[in-house]
This record gives sequence, structure tokens and C-alpha cells, in this order.
Amino acid sequence: MEGISYQRFPKVKIREMKDDYLKFELRETDASMANALRRVMLAEVPTLAIDLVEIEVNSTVLNDEFIAHRLGLIPLTSDRAMSMRFSRDCDACDGDGQCEFCSVEFTLNVRCTSDHTLDVTSTDLRSSDPTICCPVDVAARATAALDPNSAYDPSEQRGIIIVKLRRGQELRLRAIARKGIGKDHAKWSPAATVTFMYEPEIHINEDLMETLTLEEKRSWVESSPTKVFEIDPNTQQVVVVDPEAYTYDDEVIKKAEAMGKPGLVDINAKEDSFIFTVESTGAIKASQLVINAIEILRQKLDAVRLSLDTEECDEQFGELGAHLRGSAV
Amino acid sequence: MAVREDDDTSKRIPSPMSMKSLAAPVKSAVDKYQLLPEFLKVRGLVKQHLDSFNYFINCEIKKIIHAKDNERIVSDINPKIYLKFLDIYVESPSVEEDHIREPLIPQRCRLSDTTYAAPVKVDIEYTRGNPIQTEIKKGHVIANMPIMLRSCRCVLYGMDDDELARLGECPLDPGGYFIVKGTEKVLMIQEQLSKNRIIIDTDKKGRVSASVTSSTHERKSKTVIVMEKERIYLQLNQFTKLIPIMVIMKAMGMESDQEVVQMVGRDPRYSGLLLPSIQECASERIYTQYQALEFLEKKVVKSRFTNQKVSPMTILDDVFLANVPVHEGDFYPKCIYVGVMLRRMLEAILNADTIDDKDYVGNKRLELSGQLISLLFEDLFKTMSSAAKKSIDEALTKASRSSSMDISLHLRKDWITHGLERAISTGNWDVKRFKMNRKGMTQVVSRLSFIAALGHMTRIQPQFEKSRKVSGPRALQPSQWGMLCPCDTPEGEACGLVKNLALMTHVTTDEEESPLITLCYSLGVEDMSLLSTEELHSLNSYLVMFNGLILGKHRQPQRFANGMRKLRRAGKIGEFVSVFVNEKQRCVYLASDGGRVCRPLVIADKGVSRIKEHHMKELRDGARVFDDFLREGLIEYLDVNEENNALIALYEGEADSNTTHIEIEPFTILGVCAGLIPYPHHNQSPRNTYQCAMGKQAMGNIAYNQLCRMDTLLYLLVYPQRPLLTTKSIELVGYDKLGAGQNATVAVMSYSGYDIEDAIVMNKSSLDRGFGRCIVMKKVSAVKQAYDRIIMPQMSSGKGGLDSHMQILDTDGIASPGEIVRPHDILINKQSATVSRDQLISHKVLPDSAYKFTPVKHKGTEGETTVVDRVALFTDKDQNMVIKFIIRHTRRPEVGDKFSSRHGQKGVCGTIVQQEDLPFSERGICPDLIMNPHGFPSRMTIGKMIELLGGKAGVSCGRFHYGSAFGEPSGHADRVEVISETLVRHGFSYSGKDFLYSGISGCPLQAYIFMGPIYYQKLKHMVLDKMHARARGPRMMLTRQPTEGRSRDGGLRLGEMERDCLIAYGASMLIFERLMISSDPFQAQVCRKCGLLGYYHDKLKTGFCSTCKSGENVSTMKLPYACKLLFQELHAMNIVPRLQLTEH
Repeated sequence: MEGISYQRFPKVKIREMKDDYLKFELRETDASMANALRRVMLAEVPTLAIDLVEIEVNSTVLNDEFIAHRLGLIPLTSDRAMSMRFSRDCDACDGDGQCEFCSVEFTLNVRCTSDHTLDVTSTDLRSSDPTICCPVDVAARATAALDPNSAYDPSEQRGIIIVKLRRGQELRLRAIARKGIGKDHAKWSPAATVTFMYEPEIHINEDLMETLTLEEKRSWVESSPTKVFEIDPNTQQVVVVDPEAYTYDDEVIKKAEAMGKPGLVDINAKEDSFIFTVESTGAIKASQLVINAIEILRQKLDAVRLSLDTEECDEQFGELGAHLRGSAV
Repeated sequence: MAVREDDDTSKRIPSPMSMKSLAAPVKSAVDKYQLLPEFLKVRGLVKQHLDSFNYFINCEIKKIIHAKDNERIVSDINPKIYLKFLDIYVESPSVEEDHIREPLIPQRCRLSDTTYAAPVKVDIEYTRGNPIQTEIKKGHVIANMPIMLRSCRCVLYGMDDDELARLGECPLDPGGYFIVKGTEKVLMIQEQLSKNRIIIDTDKKGRVSASVTSSTHERKSKTVIVMEKERIYLQLNQFTKLIPIMVIMKAMGMESDQEVVQMVGRDPRYSGLLLPSIQECASERIYTQYQALEFLEKKVVKSRFTNQKVSPMTILDDVFLANVPVHEGDFYPKCIYVGVMLRRMLEAILNADTIDDKDYVGNKRLELSGQLISLLFEDLFKTMSSAAKKSIDEALTKASRSSSMDISLHLRKDWITHGLERAISTGNWDVKRFKMNRKGMTQVVSRLSFIAALGHMTRIQPQFEKSRKVSGPRALQPSQWGMLCPCDTPEGEACGLVKNLALMTHVTTDEEESPLITLCYSLGVEDMSLLSTEELHSLNSYLVMFNGLILGKHRQPQRFANGMRKLRRAGKIGEFVSVFVNEKQRCVYLASDGGRVCRPLVIADKGVSRIKEHHMKELRDGARVFDDFLREGLIEYLDVNEENNALIALYEGEADSNTTHIEIEPFTILGVCAGLIPYPHHNQSPRNTYQCAMGKQAMGNIAYNQLCRMDTLLYLLVYPQRPLLTTKSIELVGYDKLGAGQNATVAVMSYSGYDIEDAIVMNKSSLDRGFGRCIVMKKVSAVKQAYDRIIMPQMSSGKGGLDSHMQILDTDGIASPGEIVRPHDILINKQSATVSRDQLISHKVLPDSAYKFTPVKHKGTEGETTVVDRVALFTDKDQNMVIKFIIRHTRRPEVGDKFSSRHGQKGVCGTIVQQEDLPFSERGICPDLIMNPHGFPSRMTIGKMIELLGGKAGVSCGRFHYGSAFGEPSGHADRVEVISETLVRHGFSYSGKDFLYSGISGCPLQAYIFMGPIYYQKLKHMVLDKMHARARGPRMMLTRQPTEGRSRDGGLRLGEMERDCLIAYGASMLIFERLMISSDPFQAQVCRKCGLLGYYHDKLKTGFCSTCKSGENVSTMKLPYACKLLFQELHAMNIVPRLQLTEH
């Protein structure tokens, strides 16, 4: 017997999209959905990152672990990461960099011969297969080279510094990048920022507002730390210019109360509407990050659905399992 | 009231003054902060040590040589044979290698465990040969003296940063310590009561006493005059009993009682108090000097060595008030001195307020390295001289003197060299001459963090014992203001006794006395010896005391004092000479002795600062240095006593017409450690004290040369940061360059329950990215003895590969850098010869069988992967090869590691949480660390809250914010209002609170969360070094009980109290199991008949009682081995414990 369907059809409206930045609205769903998406983007979308470093020569000032840690944190282009295997699941190899399904090999070989300090940067990392995986800034330079119209200025981009060398110092190593997720280590997290906010709904009580003098209005408008309200220079009415700038700080409400006009403005958070901001590290495009996250979320749900019918599920969830299945208890 | 006349006339006429103040130039606050960096540039942070040591090297050492007793060594046998020291000088450190002398570099000493020492050379005039002829020899080395780093003889003296870096030295390192046998040692500043000063005090029995601790080059003594049963006595170690003071006076030639009464003052209150003493003397029938001396003769203590009595006259001359000189038997100055002592004492009896405060900083002297070393040097020099004399005499007595006699060869340099080296390395100061026997004078410089090392140099050790439960010396003294840090003191037993110098404090060194004394006389001091006793306390003049000596009297003390001060400001006399008019005691105190604490202050004329804006501009432009200010009389040093004559305004604006001085910067009352705290004036005082202790445990950077050093233990932070909220002290000290902490985004909220009791919740992603990551470096060193050899790693027998523990070895048999070391891995593949030394010499090459394997293994905990960081080889003084390894371990924070903010708020990491579970703001900010708000109400660390606000404003606007102590009025601390405005400008709430969403549910949190960056320190206490558990493990040989302590993999003791609990609960089986089965069970054979222990007879296969000679009545029982041991030990003492067994 089928229960009542809670199925909803969330809507997504993209507001702004760049390679590493995405702002979109997610409507007609609730916080659990939005938060699940956020969590997956942060911690479960796979990327590639350097995981194993074999150091041959290191006469730099930084020690081996230090350099290995720094290498790990360099974001690598991971567009193919979704289709790659985790090295622990890869039967063909043990993730030694030889296998194209699970790992990519890098080499670094730098020696300073001049009297100037030499910066070893991510551009010095040589990938065994640059098409699959290379440091993000190298990739950005490569794409910029293809596209003559891009605003990319290579002189400004100096790469991600790994270590600085003085005359006679040398760094030679072999590194292997593997697929992983942010839950295991932050270096695999593709997201720099993933956050959302509830869309605020702001209603100004126009009648009450009219009782204020212009001076009062101005001071009320200025009480908000962010620029949410403005006084229309023509009508001298208070208007909402940017509701999303509102940080739920209650300052305007407190101000209104202090002015003796409670209820001057009514601000509510829309429970079913979210504004997402996603910034990517560059490992994958922000838009791809969201798509991958949805894909992973779906896989997870599939896994739950598949396990719903099994015996273990009953053991694990008991009555809850039956409830999940929608059958009457 | 003739004296008053000389005071500032302006004080007395108020009405024209108000007119004057209208006409006075407009006061504008001049920013005097710039003086501080200049001050520190010339004085440095450890200038007190350097000045003191430099003074010793340049002046004191020469005085020692030229002292009457030291200058000549004359043979007793032939007085014509002598040696005379003409001059002495200390060169800069050098080392002789293959007959080539080259400069010694401190870093080399640190690495190769040698002493940073310089040759001390003398020019001597001596006799030689037969017939005797005098010769002069220059540059004879008599010692190798350890040299203080950055002192005027150090090779680093006057070097700039580049040159220092080339020598492997950190430019920020302050110096001020010695390097002895490779370890850095500081000579702690010693705090003492003033020498040669009259101190009026009450002793344990409540008696009023006047005491003087005399200290001259020849002798140290303590003279006490005490009032007992209305009578006044002298207490001196050389006399068996208390001596009536009148007897002493008579013995010194003051036979007339009238004179004594006159000296005390004719006021009947004083003379009345003196009457019983006079009566007592009369009742003893002592009227003349002769009688008095006769009386004293009987009371003299016999000398311990010679068993002879010294004549009382010599005691009075040499021991009694030794600081007052006696010229040609003239005891008058001593009589006067006693008179002043008596007067002060009687005054104290009449008015308890005049009793001196022993804890008053003005009554204290700080003994610094120069003084301490000079004490030791003089003693060693004397020993060397007497040894030389002895050996000369010995050589002279020998009949055959074939070779011509050369005295200079008898001066052995090892005496002083070893003596100094031993004293500095052990910290034991033994000077037999003065019966001095002090321990713990030196300490190893704490290199836990940069601040710890700096703080170590400014620490002051007390001389009194720590156990006394008195609050007086521990309490904060108002006179400490500006001299000693009010915050920096340890907790616990040394609380309040161990102190630290404030930022601007200077400690004086001795200054030449005689020119100053002459100057005093020419300024109108009437010589005491020309005055009668009657005039001693005459009302129309003040007594003038110079370094505790009575110079004479002056009729216009204020004028005299002003004159002296004017001369000082003009630079005609030393800048550290202090002039203090004590109106209560009607005395002018002049002091030029060493060890006084003083600090610079801006001079103000009637409240107007002498420093004007143009002076500061010149300073900023580099046209002026700190010393110019001093020379031109804009700034002067005041010591604690002279501060009493000054009215010091905190800020220029607060000065009024009576103000004489203005503070340079108020935050300089704090020391180095307390200077790191932002907004300390907003915190509860003990919190600042806690932070002072914790700042020394914080990990960070030690020095620029930290990776070239070979310390036994080194904690480094992987990514140290500069605090977002700094103070001016931080910049002055260099903490911004060698920080010890990281700026963490802290959310003050409750989360997960793993944050109770100050625990903090950490963000796993932050840790992944390197927050709190640290490097621990440990040193392992080994010596290759002459009969050792180090060989290539061998193939293990059978398998054909290398032994698993030998894999990190290089072909030379020593582990190579960069290799990962696991526990029990071999670091040096060393073998030692088993044969004796003789065989070693006879056999050139020993067979392999003569060697046994003695490898150096790495001891470490299982599962810890450490790396060989560096390997250093050098030759020690015995020409053996020493191998040092630095083993490195990188650690990321884990649950239980200790962290602390800069406000005495420490806490352990309670749990580590995934980033997605942590709350986030709609900007995407997520905390690195969550702190429970319960930490605030009881601690009252408002400073931490302001730090958070300021830090948040700092990151948003991109400017480092300041939080110097008391800095708001002078603009060295940002005000909360301004910070709030900055926050609002960048879209934050003025309160620093943010609207956060739960990372777990995505719903908004119920409250606004106070969130922002706070500088967090990682402290050296880490679980990895402390965690310990054991199931089975090693046992002690004797008792067969488990060993004790983590280092020996010991068991966890079930102690008496735990046992009591189990007994009370009735868990008898558990006690049995814990105390015997799990500890030291033993099967004993006990004879039921005699009750003694037997043994198991192997042939009979039964127990056997050796007392009864039978195995019939023997039973087996279990008992703790320790119990059996006790029985046996009792047996050995002829006590027979018998066991009575019953069936059970």
C-alpha cells in the first residue's frame, strides 16, 4: 500500500555562473535537502590530489613531510575524477601511478643555480598525463593560451609556491595523485566555499513608515550593517534594495523598537527557498561540482533504496525500515 | 625651617602661579613612543647583563688585579723574588688549532660542545735567574674565561644582521648568556637586600634592630644593633654574646656618655631610651677605653682554624661596620655611624612608621653576572696566586737549582679556567673567603620558544628560601611600578618571589666614588669629621649619605640635590647617580653603587615636557639617538628612591605645575612576557599571570637559526603566524618575526558536549590544512670511544637480506638523513672491544671475535614514524668522535593536545569534527575552533573578547590592529567603538556576532554566535608524550613488582586510597587480584611446624624445611614476593617472623 507521497520537485535558478563561482536559487524544498547538497559538495565529491610522495633529493629548507603536505594541498584538475576509481578499489594496481584508472604520476625536478632565490611552484610539477590531471593554475594557463580573448594575465599568476630555493639547493621527487573525497582529507575537497542562506522576505509597514520623519528614516536605514534599505531620493520612501544583503541581524527590528515603532518592518525567512553560493578550488568547475554532488547524492539514495528490501535493513532500521518503504505499520 | 627656604619658591606663592600657567606654552601631547625602539636599540633587552659583564671585563677585573693583596706574589723564602701584575686584559674568544689561533664562533661552540671562552692575559713584572734580575713579560695567559654573548669581547659585538647570519647566529637572539660545554647558560639575576645600608627592622622576637650588611672587597660582615629589655646591644659573630653598645662606644674611644647622648639627639625622648644602656655600662664599671677593651677581650670568639683570639681592636677595626673606613686608628666615623644607627633605631621605637620595609624595591639590589663572576674570579685568582707562591717556595727550597727560575711558569691557568667553567656549568658558587655557598645560580637557557629564552634573561631569583609562608615578600610592591613586571611571576611556591624586569628597566653598575665625594664637598657638604657630635642631628641641616657612608651635613639639602641633579643632566656625573632627599629622615641619599634598578623618564619643567615635537621629528629622521636625549637633559634615569622625590605624570595632558617627570609609555611597566597579551588591562589580573607562564610553553619559532641548532628537544610549529592583534611590545621584542601561535577563527558556542571543562572542538579540515601542526626534534648522541669501531651493516644470517633494523644505515654504518626510523632501528652500527686496554695496545688489529655488538638504537613508541633529520659528527676534547642525530617527528593535533589563547585560557582538544558538521555563516565562514562560552564569566577575560573583535576587524580591513596595555589614550590600542565601526563598514554586526547555520541540519542556530579570529598557542603538552597503558611488562629485579613510570613502561599503581575504597566496598577478591596476582605472586614453601620458609627440594619433589630438616610438614602457599622478601630481610636482622597456617 502506497503512503502519501512527500515527493517534491525543487526548482533551480542559476543567477550567476563562472568557472569557479556559482550562485543559484534552490526553491520548493526544505533545509534537509539544501544541507545535504552542501555537505556532499564539501565532503563527498571526489577529486584528485597528491597522496604519495617519494623524495629523491631534498636539500631545501623545508623537510620532507612539510613538502609532501604542501604538495597535497595543491588543487589538481579533476574533471575525470568521477569516472576514476579509488585506488583501494582498483584491482589493476595498488595505486602506484602506473594505472590510468586510479592515479596520475607527477615528477618535480628543480635545482637552483643562480644567486637569486628560486621559487618552486606548481608549474614545476610535471604530470604524466596533463590532459587528465595537472595543477589548476597550469590548466588555467593552458586554456588561456588557447583562447585569445580571455582576461587571463599570465604575468600575474606565478603559480602556487611549494618551496623557495637558494643557490645549490635541489628538490627532486615523484608524487602520485589519487582520487579521494574531502571526508578523508581536506585536500580532496573541491569546494572552497559552499554556503546557503534562507531567502528573506521583507515587508515594510508603509503606513507606519510614513509616520517617520526623513531624519528618522535615514537613521533607521543606516542602522542596518548591510545595505538592505534605501531612501528613494524622489519619493523619499524607504524601499528594499537588496533583501539578500540582510544578514538576519535583527538590527533594524531592534532599531524600530527603540524608536517606538515596533512592527515597522516584518522580516521572515522563506522556509523553502535557498540561495546557494558555491566557490570551487578550481579542481572542477563550480557548475560541475553541483552536478557531481547531485549525482553522488542520488547514488547514496539509490544505495539506501537498494538496501531497503534487504534483511539487514530490517535489522538496522527495524520499524523505521518499514516506514521508509511506505507500508503501513 | 631654614631648609625649606630652598624649595621651589613657586610652590609657596599660588596666585602668580595661576597667572603663569595661563602664559605657559600650550601643552600638546608628543608621541614619545618612538623613543622606545631607540631605547631598545641602544640598551637592548638584556642590556643589564651585558653592561654588568662589560663593566667586569673592562674595569672590575683591573681593580681586582691592582688590589693591595693581589698585586704581588712574593716568596716567603726569598723576599727578593716576586711577581707583580701590571695589567690584565680579556681578549676576544679564540681557539688554537694546530698552533694557529683563530676566532671562536658561538655557533661552533654550541654544536661541538665546547666552551665559548677567551684568553685572559696579564702583563707581569717578575724576577728571574741567578743573580736576580727583573723582567717584564707581556701577554701571559692566565685563564680562559667564558665570554657572554654579545658582550664587548664577543665576536658578535657590533655586528649587523647579515654578518650575524653569516656566523650562523640569529639576529633576534639577545645574547646575555654563556656557552659552556655546548650548553647555553644564563646567570640568573639575584635579588638581595642592599649592602652597606642601615636597615631598621623588627626581628622574630619583636625586637627593634638596626642592621648593616657590610661588603667590601676584603670582607663581608653583618653588624646588628638590637634593643633587648630596654637596653641596646651589639650583635656580631665575632663576639660570643650580645655586647652593650656603650661598651663598644667606649672601646672606640668615645668615653664620654654625653657625647653619645648628643649623637642620638638631645631630645629627652631619645636620651631617655638610651639611659638603661648607659646605666648597664656603668654597672659593669666600664668607664675607659682600656676597660672596655678588656671587657671585650673575654667575649671574643676563638678562631676555628688557629684557635687563637683576635684582639677586640682588630675586630672593631675590620669586622665591625666593615664598610666604614678607619684611617690611622681614627674611630670617629664609626662612632658617628653607630650614632646614626642608634638614632634611627630609637626613632623606630618611638614611631613604628619609620621601620624600613625590607620588600621595598629601593632597599634591594640586583646582583648580575658581572658582579657574580668577579666574586668568583677574585677568589680563583687568589687561589692561583697562593698556589703559585707555594710552588715557587717549593722550588726554592729544593737544593739543586740547575735551571734558572722563571716565576711566570708557576702561574697555572687551569685554576681559573676550570673554576669558572665548573661554576657556570653546575651553578654552584663557592667562595670560601666569604663563606658563600650558593646553588642554582645558572640555568640552561630555555629554548622552548623565543619568548621563553627572552623571559629567562629578565628573570630575577630571590635569595631567601622559598618555603617560608610569608606573604610580605610575595606581595606586589607599589615601588615595583615600572621596574619589575607586575604580571610575570610563576604560580605555586615561588609565586611573587621570582620576578621579571619590566621593558625599560636598567640595572646600574658601580661607578667611581671618589670624584663624586669630592664634588659633594665642593657643593657645600660639611665634612663630618670636622663637626662635633652635637651637630649630628642639628635641626638646621640634613645629613648627606653617600653609598651608605656618612659624608657630612648640608644646610641647604634641596639646593644641594638640585645642584647634583643639574650636573647629572648636564652629563658631568654619571647618568645613574641617584639623589634622593628623605625629608622624614632629614637625609640626602646619594647612590652610585651597582645593582640599583632604574628607568628612563622624560623630564618636565613645571609640568611641561622637555621633549618637544621637533625633538621627536629629529629622532624619526635619524638625526638624533636616544643618548642625545639623555645628554641634552631631556630624559633621565631615576632609581626607585629618587622616584620618591618626583611627581610623575602618566601622560603629558595629565601633568600639572608640580609634575617633574612624564612617563615615556605606560605599557613599559610590563615585562617581555606580559607584553604579548593584547588588552591585558581588560583582563582579570591572574589571567595575565597565567599567560606569562604559558607563553613560555607555546610552540613556534625559536630563532632564525633553529634548523642549524642541535638542541636536545625542540618544538617547532609548521606554519607559525604573526598575531592579527599585536601590541607595541610584540614589535619591539620581535615576536612578530618569531611568533608562537596561529590565528584561529573561533566560534564561542556550545557544540557536541565534548567541550566541557575548557575543552575545545577543532575543525578536521583546518587540521588537514596545517593548523596546529608541529615538528618535534629530539637529539640522540653517542661517543665512539677509542676501542670502538663502526662498521658497515651486515647481512643477516640465513635470509641474505639486510637485518630489518639495519635498513636505514648508510655504508659507513651510521643512519643517513631523511630515512624513516622505527623503534629499535639501529642508528649506529657500533662494536666495542671486549679485551682489555693492554691488549688493545699490543695488538694492532683485533680479530672480529674480540668485538661485541653495542649498537645505538632508536627508542621510540610503536607506531610513531620519525625521520632522521640531521647527523653531525665532531671530535670532543678527548679526541673521540661524537655522533649527534636529530630525530624529527611531525605531528598533527589530536584529541588531548593542549592549546591556549593569550589570556590564560588553556584547554585541551576535546574532539575533532568534520568541516561539514560545523556551523557556517552565509558568507561561508566556518570556525577552526569552537570554544565553550562558559570559559568567560568566571575568568573575566574581556581582553580576549576585544582581541576577537579587533582580529575580525583586522582581517576585514587588512590592517593589523593593536592592543597594547593601557594604550587607548595614546593610540597604541584600538578602541572597541572604532573596531565596531570597522566591522559594520564591512558588513558585520558591531557586536562581532554572526548569524550561523547548523552544519548538521542546515537550520539557523538559535542564537547569534560571537565569532572571529583569536591567536591560539599550541602548548608543548601533547598526549603522544604522555599516554601510557600497560597490561604486562617489565618488573623490578628486587621485588618482582611492576616497574614505575611511563619511561620504564611501568604499571599503574593501585594506591592506598584506592585500596581503602575497595576495602570499604568489600571487594576482597579484587584487592587480592590487584595486589598479588597482577603484581608479584610467589609460591612459597612454609613449614607448618616452625612457621619458617622452606624451599622446594628437587630430588624429593616436595617442599623442605631447612630448619626442621624435614619435608613432612611443609605446605605450599601463595604470597606476594615482596612479603617473602620482607621476611628474609627481617631474618637478616635477627627478627623471626613465623607464619601460622590454618586449613582453609
